Amino acid sequence: MTELALFFSYDFTRLALLAGLLASVLGGVLGTFVVVKRLVFITGGISHAAFAGLGFCYWLGVDPLIGAVVVAVLAALLLGWVSDAGTRSQDALIGVLWAGGMAIGILFIHMTPGYAPNLMTYLFGDILTVVPRDVVLLAVLTTVTLGLLFVLHRGLVAVAFDETFARVQGVPVRALTLLLLVLVALAVILLIQVVGIVLLLALFTLPPMIALLLVARSFGLVLLVAVLTGLLMTTGGLAASWTMDLPTGPAIVLTGIVLGLVVWGTKKVFGQGRLSD
Amino acid sequence: MAALLQLEDVSFGYEREPVLRHVNLSVGEQDFLAIIGPNGGGKTTLLRLILGLETPWSGQIRWRAGSPPRIGYVPQFSTFDRNFPLRLRDTVLMGRIGHGGWLRRRNAEDTAAVDRVLAQLRLTTLSDRPIADLSGGQLQRALIARALVSNPEILFLDEPTASVDAETRSALSDLLAELNRDIPVVVVTHDVTAMAVHVKQIACVNRRLFYHGSGQLSHAQLEEAYGCPVELIAHGVPHRLLHAHDECAHD
Repeated sequence: MTELALFFSYDFTRLALLAGLLASVLGGVLGTFVVVKRLVFITGGISHAAFAGLGFCYWLGVDPLIGAVVVAVLAALLLGWVSDAGTRSQDALIGVLWAGGMAIGILFIHMTPGYAPNLMTYLFGDILTVVPRDVVLLAVLTTVTLGLLFVLHRGLVAVAFDETFARVQGVPVRALTLLLLVLVALAVILLIQVVGIVLLLALFTLPPMIALLLVARSFGLVLLVAVLTGLLMTTGGLAASWTMDLPTGPAIVLTGIVLGLVVWGTKKVFGQGRLSD
Repeated sequence: MAALLQLEDVSFGYEREPVLRHVNLSVGEQDFLAIIGPNGGGKTTLLRLILGLETPWSGQIRWRAGSPPRIGYVPQFSTFDRNFPLRLRDTVLMGRIGHGGWLRRRNAEDTAAVDRVLAQLRLTTLSDRPIADLSGGQLQRALIARALVSNPEILFLDEPTASVDAETRSALSDLLAELNRDIPVVVVTHDVTAMAVHVKQIACVNRRLFYHGSGQLSHAQLEEAYGCPVELIAHGVPHRLLHAHDECAHD
Protein backbone atom coordinates (compact mmCIF):
# COMPACT_ATOMS: atom_id res chain seq x y z
CA MET A 1 0.00 0.00 0.00
CA THR A 2 2.75 2.40 0.91
CA GLU A 3 4.38 1.38 -2.36
CA LEU A 4 1.23 2.39 -4.23
CA ALA A 5 0.86 5.65 -2.28
CA LEU A 6 4.44 6.44 -3.14
CA PHE A 7 3.73 5.72 -6.79
CA PHE A 8 0.91 8.24 -6.90
CA SER A 9 2.85 10.84 -4.96
CA TYR A 10 5.14 11.73 -7.84
CA ASP A 11 4.21 14.02 -10.72
CA PHE A 12 6.13 11.94 -13.21
CA THR A 13 4.32 8.73 -12.30
CA ARG A 14 0.92 10.43 -12.52
CA LEU A 15 1.97 11.80 -15.89
CA ALA A 16 3.05 8.33 -16.96
CA LEU A 17 -0.33 6.90 -16.00
CA LEU A 18 -2.11 9.61 -17.97
CA ALA A 19 0.12 8.94 -20.97
CA GLY A 20 -0.66 5.25 -20.61
CA LEU A 21 -4.40 5.97 -20.61
CA LEU A 22 -4.19 8.07 -23.77
CA ALA A 23 -1.89 5.53 -25.41
CA SER A 24 -4.46 2.84 -24.65
CA VAL A 25 -7.22 4.81 -26.34
CA LEU A 26 -5.12 5.55 -29.43
CA GLY A 27 -3.64 2.05 -29.64
CA GLY A 28 -6.97 0.36 -29.01
CA VAL A 29 -8.98 2.41 -31.51
CA LEU A 30 -6.46 2.83 -34.33
CA GLY A 31 -4.89 -0.55 -33.64
CA THR A 32 -8.19 -2.34 -34.21
CA PHE A 33 -8.39 -0.82 -37.69
CA VAL A 34 -4.72 -1.65 -38.24
CA VAL A 35 -5.28 -5.29 -37.27
CA VAL A 36 -8.50 -5.93 -39.23
CA LYS A 37 -7.18 -4.12 -42.29
CA ARG A 38 -3.84 -5.95 -42.00
CA LEU A 39 -1.78 -2.77 -41.80
CA VAL A 40 0.55 -3.99 -39.05
CA PHE A 41 3.62 -4.17 -41.27
CA ILE A 42 2.85 -0.73 -42.72
CA THR A 43 2.64 0.66 -39.18
CA GLY A 44 6.03 -0.86 -38.40
CA GLY A 45 7.44 0.65 -41.60
CA ILE A 46 6.11 4.12 -40.76
CA SER A 47 7.51 4.05 -37.22
CA HIS A 48 10.97 3.01 -38.33
CA ALA A 49 11.02 5.38 -41.32
CA ALA A 50 10.23 8.22 -38.90
CA PHE A 51 13.57 7.66 -37.25
CA ALA A 52 15.20 9.31 -40.29
CA GLY A 53 13.33 12.56 -39.62
CA LEU A 54 14.02 12.31 -35.93
CA GLY A 55 17.78 11.93 -36.43
CA PHE A 56 17.91 14.66 -39.07
CA CYS A 57 16.21 17.22 -36.83
CA TYR A 58 18.40 16.25 -33.94
CA TRP A 59 21.44 16.94 -36.11
CA LEU A 60 19.93 20.29 -37.21
CA GLY A 61 19.28 21.15 -33.60
CA VAL A 62 15.51 21.39 -34.18
CA ASP A 63 12.83 19.59 -32.18
CA PRO A 64 13.14 15.94 -33.34
CA LEU A 65 9.37 15.51 -33.06
CA ILE A 66 8.87 17.80 -36.10
CA GLY A 67 11.10 15.69 -38.32
CA ALA A 68 9.55 12.48 -37.10
CA VAL A 69 6.02 13.73 -37.81
CA VAL A 70 6.88 14.99 -41.31
CA VAL A 71 8.63 11.77 -42.34
CA ALA A 72 5.98 9.52 -40.77
CA VAL A 73 3.12 11.29 -42.54
CA LEU A 74 5.01 11.25 -45.86
CA ALA A 75 5.74 7.53 -45.43
CA ALA A 76 2.08 6.86 -44.62
CA LEU A 77 0.90 8.75 -47.72
CA LEU A 78 3.50 7.04 -49.92
CA LEU A 79 2.58 3.55 -48.69
CA GLY A 80 -1.14 4.28 -48.99
CA TRP A 81 -0.64 5.57 -52.51
CA VAL A 82 1.48 2.57 -53.54
CA SER A 83 -1.05 0.08 -52.20
CA ASP A 84 -3.79 1.86 -54.11
CA ALA A 85 -1.79 1.72 -57.34
CA GLY A 86 -2.18 -2.03 -57.04
CA THR A 87 1.50 -2.81 -57.38
CA ARG A 88 3.04 -5.76 -55.65
CA SER A 89 6.08 -3.82 -54.52
CA GLN A 90 4.41 -2.35 -51.42
CA ASP A 91 5.72 -5.13 -49.21
CA ALA A 92 9.28 -4.60 -50.36
CA LEU A 93 8.95 -0.82 -50.17
CA ILE A 94 7.94 -1.09 -46.52
CA GLY A 95 11.13 -3.04 -45.89
CA VAL A 96 13.21 -0.35 -47.61
CA LEU A 97 11.58 2.47 -45.61
CA TRP A 98 12.00 0.42 -42.42
CA ALA A 99 15.73 -0.20 -42.84
CA GLY A 100 16.49 3.07 -44.65
CA GLY A 101 14.79 5.18 -41.99
CA MET A 102 16.75 3.56 -39.20
CA ALA A 103 20.03 3.83 -41.13
CA ILE A 104 19.57 7.55 -41.88
CA GLY A 105 18.46 8.31 -38.33
CA ILE A 106 21.42 6.57 -36.73
CA LEU A 107 23.81 8.21 -39.20
CA PHE A 108 22.61 11.73 -38.32
CA ILE A 109 22.76 11.04 -34.63
CA HIS A 110 26.26 9.69 -35.11
CA MET A 111 27.27 12.89 -36.94
CA THR A 112 25.85 15.14 -34.27
CA PRO A 113 28.72 16.51 -32.18
CA GLY A 114 28.63 16.44 -28.43
CA TYR A 115 26.36 14.49 -26.18
CA ALA A 116 24.55 11.65 -27.96
CA PRO A 117 20.86 11.38 -27.17
CA ASN A 118 19.67 8.33 -25.41
CA LEU A 119 18.99 6.06 -28.35
CA MET A 120 17.60 3.43 -26.04
CA THR A 121 14.75 5.76 -25.09
CA TYR A 122 13.67 6.16 -28.70
CA LEU A 123 14.03 2.47 -29.43
CA PHE A 124 12.59 0.97 -26.29
CA GLY A 125 10.78 3.89 -24.71
CA ASP A 126 10.42 5.02 -21.13
CA ILE A 127 6.98 6.14 -20.12
CA LEU A 128 8.42 7.55 -16.89
CA THR A 129 10.31 10.22 -18.86
CA VAL A 130 7.11 11.63 -20.41
CA VAL A 131 6.87 15.42 -20.09
CA PRO A 132 3.63 17.47 -19.91
CA ARG A 133 3.94 18.51 -23.55
CA ASP A 134 3.85 14.83 -24.66
CA VAL A 135 0.68 14.27 -22.69
CA VAL A 136 -0.95 17.39 -24.13
CA LEU A 137 -0.10 16.30 -27.68
CA LEU A 138 -1.39 12.80 -26.97
CA ALA A 139 -4.61 14.28 -25.58
CA VAL A 140 -5.09 16.47 -28.67
CA LEU A 141 -4.53 13.58 -31.07
CA THR A 142 -6.81 11.30 -29.04
CA THR A 143 -9.57 13.92 -29.15
CA VAL A 144 -9.16 14.43 -32.90
CA THR A 145 -9.15 10.66 -33.51
CA LEU A 146 -12.28 10.06 -31.44
CA GLY A 147 -14.00 13.03 -33.08
CA LEU A 148 -13.24 11.73 -36.58
CA LEU A 149 -14.35 8.25 -35.56
CA PHE A 150 -17.65 9.67 -34.32
CA VAL A 151 -18.31 11.50 -37.58
CA LEU A 152 -16.91 8.94 -40.03
CA HIS A 153 -17.53 5.65 -38.28
CA ARG A 154 -20.01 4.25 -40.80
CA GLY A 155 -17.60 4.76 -43.65
CA LEU A 156 -14.55 3.64 -41.68
CA VAL A 157 -16.16 0.39 -40.54
CA ALA A 158 -17.49 -0.26 -44.05
CA VAL A 159 -13.99 0.20 -45.46
CA ALA A 160 -12.52 -2.01 -42.75
CA PHE A 161 -15.02 -4.79 -43.43
CA ASP A 162 -15.39 -4.83 -47.20
CA GLU A 163 -13.49 -2.27 -49.24
CA THR A 164 -14.90 -3.23 -52.63
CA PHE A 165 -18.49 -3.12 -51.46
CA ALA A 166 -17.83 0.25 -49.82
CA ARG A 167 -16.46 1.60 -53.11
CA VAL A 168 -19.50 0.39 -55.03
CA GLN A 169 -21.61 2.24 -52.43
CA GLY A 170 -19.76 5.47 -53.14
CA VAL A 171 -17.69 5.59 -49.96
CA PRO A 172 -14.37 7.40 -50.60
CA VAL A 173 -12.31 4.36 -49.69
CA ARG A 174 -9.00 5.83 -50.75
CA ALA A 175 -9.39 9.05 -48.79
CA LEU A 176 -10.53 7.22 -45.66
CA THR A 177 -7.64 4.75 -45.88
CA LEU A 178 -5.14 7.60 -46.24
CA LEU A 179 -6.73 9.43 -43.32
CA LEU A 180 -6.44 6.29 -41.23
CA LEU A 181 -2.78 5.90 -42.17
CA VAL A 182 -2.01 9.53 -41.33
CA LEU A 183 -3.70 9.15 -37.92
CA VAL A 184 -1.69 5.97 -37.37
CA ALA A 185 1.50 7.80 -38.35
CA LEU A 186 0.82 10.63 -35.89
CA ALA A 187 -0.08 8.19 -33.11
CA VAL A 188 3.05 6.17 -33.81
CA ILE A 189 5.25 9.25 -33.37
CA LEU A 190 3.67 10.27 -30.09
CA LEU A 191 3.70 6.73 -28.76
CA ILE A 192 7.40 6.32 -29.50
CA GLN A 193 7.90 8.22 -26.26
CA VAL A 194 5.73 5.76 -24.36
CA VAL A 195 7.00 2.38 -25.47
CA GLY A 196 9.65 3.17 -28.10
CA ILE A 197 9.84 2.38 -31.80
CA VAL A 198 10.62 -1.30 -31.34
CA LEU A 199 7.85 -2.05 -28.88
CA LEU A 200 5.12 0.30 -30.09
CA LEU A 201 3.59 -2.25 -32.40
CA ALA A 202 2.55 -4.15 -29.28
CA LEU A 203 0.15 -1.34 -28.34
CA PHE A 204 -1.41 -1.54 -31.82
CA THR A 205 -1.72 -5.31 -32.02
CA LEU A 206 -2.12 -6.94 -28.60
CA PRO A 207 -5.23 -5.07 -27.36
CA PRO A 208 -7.16 -5.50 -30.66
CA MET A 209 -6.17 -9.16 -30.89
CA ILE A 210 -7.37 -9.82 -27.35
CA ALA A 211 -10.57 -7.85 -27.97
CA LEU A 212 -11.25 -9.81 -31.17
CA LEU A 213 -10.87 -13.04 -29.19
CA LEU A 214 -13.54 -11.81 -26.78
CA VAL A 215 -16.08 -10.01 -28.97
CA ALA A 216 -17.81 -11.38 -32.07
CA ARG A 217 -20.81 -9.24 -32.80
CA SER A 218 -19.96 -5.59 -32.59
CA PHE A 219 -17.06 -3.63 -34.00
CA GLY A 220 -17.76 -0.80 -31.56
CA LEU A 221 -17.51 -3.21 -28.63
CA VAL A 222 -14.20 -4.50 -29.99
CA LEU A 223 -12.89 -0.92 -29.93
CA LEU A 224 -14.00 -0.49 -26.33
CA VAL A 225 -12.58 -3.80 -25.13
CA ALA A 226 -9.33 -3.07 -26.97
CA VAL A 227 -9.02 0.28 -25.16
CA LEU A 228 -9.70 -1.37 -21.78
CA THR A 229 -7.19 -4.11 -22.55
CA GLY A 230 -4.65 -1.45 -23.44
CA LEU A 231 -5.35 0.20 -20.09
CA LEU A 232 -4.70 -3.06 -18.26
CA MET A 233 -1.51 -3.46 -20.26
CA THR A 234 -0.10 -0.02 -19.55
CA THR A 235 -1.10 0.18 -15.89
CA GLY A 236 -0.14 -3.44 -15.22
CA GLY A 237 3.16 -2.89 -16.98
CA LEU A 238 3.82 0.27 -15.00
CA ALA A 239 3.01 -1.53 -11.75
CA ALA A 240 5.31 -4.40 -12.66
CA SER A 241 8.03 -1.99 -13.67
CA TRP A 242 7.64 -0.02 -10.40
CA THR A 243 7.56 -2.98 -8.04
CA MET A 244 10.14 -5.16 -9.75
CA ASP A 245 12.38 -2.39 -11.04
CA LEU A 246 11.98 -3.39 -14.72
CA PRO A 247 12.27 -1.15 -17.79
CA THR A 248 8.73 0.12 -18.51
CA GLY A 249 8.49 -0.60 -22.28
CA PRO A 250 9.18 -4.34 -22.05
CA ALA A 251 7.09 -4.56 -18.85
CA ILE A 252 4.05 -3.10 -20.70
CA VAL A 253 4.50 -5.36 -23.73
CA LEU A 254 5.01 -8.50 -21.67
CA THR A 255 1.97 -7.69 -19.52
CA GLY A 256 -0.04 -7.59 -22.74
CA ILE A 257 1.36 -10.89 -23.94
CA VAL A 258 0.59 -12.57 -20.60
CA LEU A 259 -2.93 -11.10 -20.76
CA GLY A 260 -3.38 -12.42 -24.28
CA LEU A 261 -2.18 -15.89 -23.31
CA VAL A 262 -4.54 -15.95 -20.33
CA VAL A 263 -7.54 -14.98 -22.48
CA TRP A 264 -6.59 -17.41 -25.23
CA GLY A 265 -5.96 -20.22 -22.73
CA THR A 266 -9.23 -19.57 -20.90
CA LYS A 267 -11.10 -19.72 -24.18
CA LYS A 268 -9.37 -22.98 -25.09
CA VAL A 269 -10.33 -24.54 -21.77
CA PHE A 270 -13.85 -23.17 -21.40
CA GLY A 271 -15.01 -23.49 -25.00
CA GLN A 272 -15.04 -21.44 -28.14
CA GLY A 273 -17.66 -18.81 -27.33
CA ARG A 274 -16.90 -15.12 -27.33
CA LEU A 275 -18.17 -12.68 -24.69
CA SER A 276 -21.43 -11.91 -26.37
CA ASP A 277 -22.43 -15.50 -27.18
CA MET B 1 -36.52 0.58 -75.20
CA ALA B 2 -32.77 0.96 -74.91
CA ALA B 3 -30.78 -1.52 -72.84
CA LEU B 4 -30.22 -0.61 -69.20
CA LEU B 5 -26.50 -1.16 -69.61
CA GLN B 6 -24.43 -1.17 -72.76
CA LEU B 7 -20.74 -2.02 -73.16
CA GLU B 8 -19.24 -0.94 -76.47
CA ASP B 9 -15.89 -2.24 -77.63
CA VAL B 10 -14.42 -2.26 -74.12
CA SER B 11 -10.77 -3.22 -73.65
CA PHE B 12 -8.92 -3.32 -70.38
CA GLY B 13 -5.86 -4.79 -68.64
CA TYR B 14 -4.10 -4.37 -65.31
CA GLU B 15 -0.60 -4.13 -66.73
CA ARG B 16 0.59 -4.09 -70.33
CA GLU B 17 -1.31 -7.20 -71.43
CA PRO B 18 -5.01 -6.71 -72.03
CA VAL B 19 -7.28 -8.95 -69.97
CA LEU B 20 -10.34 -8.09 -72.02
CA ARG B 21 -10.44 -7.13 -75.68
CA HIS B 22 -13.25 -5.46 -77.63
CA VAL B 23 -16.10 -6.60 -75.43
CA ASN B 24 -19.66 -5.69 -76.44
CA LEU B 25 -22.44 -6.55 -74.08
CA SER B 26 -25.87 -5.29 -73.17
CA VAL B 27 -28.15 -5.92 -70.24
CA GLY B 28 -31.87 -5.28 -70.52
CA GLU B 29 -34.65 -4.68 -68.02
CA GLN B 30 -35.70 -8.29 -67.57
CA ASP B 31 -32.40 -10.06 -68.14
CA PHE B 32 -31.01 -12.87 -66.00
CA LEU B 33 -27.52 -12.99 -67.42
CA ALA B 34 -24.83 -15.50 -66.52
CA ILE B 35 -21.30 -14.42 -67.36
CA ILE B 36 -19.34 -17.65 -67.65
CA GLY B 37 -15.86 -18.62 -68.74
CA PRO B 38 -12.67 -20.23 -67.47
CA ASN B 39 -10.87 -18.99 -64.37
CA GLY B 40 -8.56 -16.14 -65.25
CA GLY B 41 -10.55 -15.41 -68.38
CA GLY B 42 -11.63 -11.96 -67.21
CA LYS B 43 -15.13 -12.55 -65.82
CA THR B 44 -14.49 -10.76 -62.54
CA THR B 45 -12.57 -8.03 -64.36
CA LEU B 46 -15.57 -7.45 -66.58
CA LEU B 47 -17.72 -7.11 -63.48
CA ARG B 48 -15.24 -4.67 -61.90
CA LEU B 49 -15.42 -2.51 -65.04
CA ILE B 50 -19.22 -2.49 -64.97
CA LEU B 51 -19.21 -1.60 -61.26
CA GLY B 52 -16.91 1.33 -61.97
CA LEU B 53 -14.03 -0.09 -59.93
CA GLU B 54 -11.78 -0.01 -63.01
CA THR B 55 -11.68 2.37 -65.95
CA PRO B 56 -11.55 0.83 -69.43
CA TRP B 57 -8.52 1.47 -71.63
CA SER B 58 -10.85 2.05 -74.53
CA GLY B 59 -14.51 1.70 -75.35
CA GLN B 60 -17.62 2.85 -73.55
CA ILE B 61 -19.72 1.66 -70.63
CA ARG B 62 -23.08 3.35 -70.90
CA TRP B 63 -25.97 3.31 -68.45
CA ARG B 64 -29.34 4.25 -69.83
CA ALA B 65 -29.83 6.95 -67.23
CA GLY B 66 -26.45 8.48 -68.04
CA SER B 67 -24.97 7.74 -64.63
CA PRO B 68 -24.94 4.36 -62.86
CA PRO B 69 -28.24 3.48 -61.15
CA ARG B 70 -28.44 2.07 -57.61
CA ILE B 71 -26.39 -1.10 -57.88
CA GLY B 72 -26.77 -4.18 -55.69
CA TYR B 73 -23.47 -6.01 -55.44
CA VAL B 74 -22.74 -9.41 -53.88
CA PRO B 75 -18.98 -10.06 -53.72
CA GLN B 76 -17.10 -13.34 -53.39
CA PHE B 77 -16.50 -14.56 -49.84
CA SER B 78 -12.76 -14.20 -50.33
CA THR B 79 -12.96 -10.39 -50.49
CA PHE B 80 -13.75 -9.87 -46.82
CA ASP B 81 -12.96 -11.32 -43.39
CA ARG B 82 -15.62 -13.79 -42.28
CA ASN B 83 -14.49 -13.38 -38.66
CA PHE B 84 -15.11 -9.63 -38.70
CA PRO B 85 -16.99 -8.69 -35.50
CA LEU B 86 -20.39 -7.86 -36.93
CA ARG B 87 -23.94 -9.06 -36.44
CA LEU B 88 -25.90 -10.15 -39.49
CA ARG B 89 -28.24 -7.18 -39.05
CA ASP B 90 -25.37 -4.67 -39.01
CA THR B 91 -23.84 -6.31 -42.06
CA VAL B 92 -27.09 -5.83 -43.96
CA LEU B 93 -27.32 -2.26 -42.67
CA MET B 94 -24.05 -1.49 -44.47
CA GLY B 95 -25.99 -1.79 -47.71
CA ARG B 96 -27.77 1.46 -46.78
CA ILE B 97 -24.57 3.50 -46.83
CA GLY B 98 -25.08 4.48 -50.45
CA HIS B 99 -28.51 5.84 -49.56
CA GLY B 100 -28.31 9.55 -48.93
CA GLY B 101 -24.55 9.67 -48.45
CA TRP B 102 -22.14 7.72 -46.26
CA LEU B 103 -21.76 10.56 -43.73
CA ARG B 104 -25.42 10.41 -42.78
CA ARG B 105 -26.30 8.78 -39.47
CA ARG B 106 -28.55 5.76 -39.41
CA ASN B 107 -32.28 6.47 -39.18
CA ALA B 108 -35.61 4.71 -38.71
CA GLU B 109 -36.03 4.28 -42.45
CA ASP B 110 -32.79 2.28 -42.57
CA THR B 111 -33.96 0.04 -39.73
CA ALA B 112 -37.29 -0.55 -41.48
CA ALA B 113 -35.56 -1.38 -44.76
CA VAL B 114 -33.26 -3.85 -42.99
CA ASP B 115 -36.18 -5.53 -41.21
CA ARG B 116 -38.07 -5.80 -44.49
CA VAL B 117 -35.22 -7.41 -46.40
CA LEU B 118 -34.35 -9.75 -43.50
CA ALA B 119 -37.93 -11.00 -43.55
CA GLN B 120 -37.92 -11.32 -47.32
CA LEU B 121 -34.83 -13.55 -47.21
CA ARG B 122 -36.02 -15.43 -44.08
CA LEU B 123 -33.09 -14.19 -42.02
CA THR B 124 -35.03 -12.49 -39.21
CA THR B 125 -34.33 -15.19 -36.62
CA LEU B 126 -30.61 -15.00 -37.37
CA SER B 127 -30.37 -11.23 -37.32
CA ASP B 128 -28.46 -10.98 -34.02
CA ARG B 129 -25.97 -13.72 -34.84
CA PRO B 130 -22.38 -12.72 -35.56
CA ILE B 131 -21.54 -13.40 -39.20
CA ALA B 132 -18.72 -15.68 -38.07
CA ASP B 133 -21.37 -18.16 -36.85
CA LEU B 134 -23.35 -18.31 -40.10
CA SER B 135 -23.25 -21.21 -42.54
CA GLY B 136 -22.12 -20.59 -46.11
CA GLY B 137 -25.69 -20.44 -47.37
CA GLN B 138 -26.82 -18.12 -44.57
CA LEU B 139 -23.89 -15.78 -45.17
CA GLN B 140 -24.63 -15.78 -48.90
CA ARG B 141 -28.23 -14.77 -48.19
CA ALA B 142 -26.98 -12.09 -45.78
CA LEU B 143 -24.80 -10.64 -48.55
CA ILE B 144 -27.74 -10.69 -50.94
CA ALA B 145 -29.81 -8.93 -48.26
CA ARG B 146 -27.06 -6.31 -47.94
CA ALA B 147 -27.22 -5.78 -51.71
CA LEU B 148 -31.03 -5.59 -51.78
CA VAL B 149 -31.51 -3.26 -48.84
CA SER B 150 -30.64 -0.26 -51.01
CA ASN B 151 -33.55 -1.08 -53.41
CA PRO B 152 -31.14 -1.61 -56.31
CA GLU B 153 -32.18 -1.26 -59.92
CA ILE B 154 -29.83 -4.06 -60.96
CA LEU B 155 -28.17 -6.90 -59.04
CA PHE B 156 -24.67 -8.27 -59.63
CA LEU B 157 -23.33 -11.43 -57.99
CA ASP B 158 -19.73 -12.67 -58.19
CA GLU B 159 -19.48 -16.49 -57.92
CA PRO B 160 -22.48 -16.80 -55.57
CA THR B 161 -22.45 -20.61 -55.60
CA ALA B 162 -18.74 -21.10 -54.94
CA SER B 163 -18.93 -21.61 -51.16
CA VAL B 164 -22.31 -23.25 -50.67
CA ASP B 165 -23.61 -26.82 -50.87
CA ALA B 166 -25.78 -28.23 -53.65
CA GLU B 167 -29.08 -27.78 -51.83
CA THR B 168 -28.33 -24.14 -50.99
CA ARG B 169 -27.26 -23.63 -54.57
CA SER B 170 -30.65 -24.53 -55.96
CA ALA B 171 -32.46 -22.47 -53.28
CA LEU B 172 -30.23 -19.56 -54.21
CA SER B 173 -31.03 -20.01 -57.86
CA ASP B 174 -34.76 -19.93 -57.09
CA LEU B 175 -34.28 -16.80 -54.98
CA LEU B 176 -32.47 -15.02 -57.81
CA ALA B 177 -35.20 -15.98 -60.24
CA GLU B 178 -37.72 -14.49 -57.83
CA LEU B 179 -35.74 -11.26 -57.60
CA ASN B 180 -35.43 -11.26 -61.37
CA ARG B 181 -39.16 -10.64 -61.63
CA ASP B 182 -38.43 -7.06 -60.57
CA ILE B 183 -34.84 -6.27 -61.56
CA PRO B 184 -32.20 -7.59 -63.94
CA VAL B 185 -29.76 -10.06 -62.36
CA VAL B 186 -26.19 -10.60 -63.56
CA VAL B 187 -24.26 -13.57 -62.19
CA VAL B 188 -20.56 -14.15 -62.74
CA THR B 189 -19.93 -17.85 -62.33
CA HIS B 190 -17.79 -20.72 -63.48
CA ASP B 191 -20.58 -23.10 -62.46
CA VAL B 192 -23.50 -22.35 -64.71
CA THR B 193 -25.27 -25.62 -63.92
CA ALA B 194 -26.41 -24.27 -60.55
CA MET B 195 -28.27 -21.44 -62.24
CA ALA B 196 -29.20 -23.37 -65.36
CA VAL B 197 -32.94 -23.57 -64.86
CA HIS B 198 -33.48 -19.84 -64.50
CA VAL B 199 -30.75 -18.14 -66.50
CA LYS B 200 -32.10 -16.39 -69.57
CA GLN B 201 -28.93 -15.12 -71.23
CA ILE B 202 -25.35 -16.31 -71.29
CA ALA B 203 -22.17 -14.39 -71.98
CA CYS B 204 -19.05 -16.50 -72.40
CA VAL B 205 -15.87 -14.58 -71.60
CA ASN B 206 -12.28 -15.60 -72.13
CA ARG B 207 -10.24 -12.48 -72.95
CA ARG B 208 -12.86 -11.77 -75.59
CA LEU B 209 -16.59 -12.14 -75.43
CA PHE B 210 -17.21 -15.36 -77.34
CA TYR B 211 -20.92 -15.54 -77.17
CA HIS B 212 -23.75 -13.49 -75.89
CA GLY B 213 -27.33 -14.42 -76.30
CA SER B 214 -30.20 -16.46 -75.12
CA GLY B 215 -30.01 -19.41 -77.51
CA GLN B 216 -28.06 -22.56 -77.03
CA LEU B 217 -24.31 -22.27 -77.34
CA SER B 218 -22.72 -24.38 -79.94
CA HIS B 219 -20.12 -26.89 -78.95
CA ALA B 220 -17.57 -25.24 -81.20
CA GLN B 221 -18.14 -21.80 -79.66
CA LEU B 222 -17.63 -23.13 -76.18
CA GLU B 223 -14.51 -25.02 -77.12
CA GLU B 224 -13.14 -21.89 -78.69
CA ALA B 225 -13.84 -19.94 -75.50
CA TYR B 226 -12.53 -22.44 -73.04
CA GLY B 227 -9.75 -23.79 -75.19
CA CYS B 228 -10.59 -27.30 -74.13
CA PRO B 229 -13.21 -29.96 -74.73
CA VAL B 230 -16.51 -29.26 -73.05
CA GLU B 231 -19.70 -31.19 -72.72
CA LEU B 232 -23.13 -29.75 -73.26
CA ILE B 233 -26.12 -30.72 -71.24
CA ALA B 234 -29.55 -29.73 -72.35
CA HIS B 235 -31.75 -28.85 -69.43
CA GLY B 236 -34.91 -28.82 -71.44
CA VAL B 237 -37.51 -26.15 -70.95
CA PRO B 238 -37.37 -23.26 -70.56
CA HIS B 239 -33.71 -22.93 -71.49
CA ARG B 240 -31.11 -25.22 -72.86
CA LEU B 241 -27.82 -24.80 -71.14
CA LEU B 242 -24.54 -26.43 -70.80
CA HIS B 243 -22.01 -27.87 -68.52
CA ALA B 244 -18.43 -26.82 -68.98
CA HIS B 245 -15.24 -28.28 -67.62
CA ASP B 246 -13.98 -25.06 -66.21
CA GLU B 247 -10.98 -26.50 -64.42
CA CYS B 248 -9.14 -27.53 -67.56
CA ALA B 249 -5.91 -25.90 -68.56
CA HIS B 250 -5.90 -22.85 -70.74
CA ASP B 251 -3.54 -19.98 -71.29
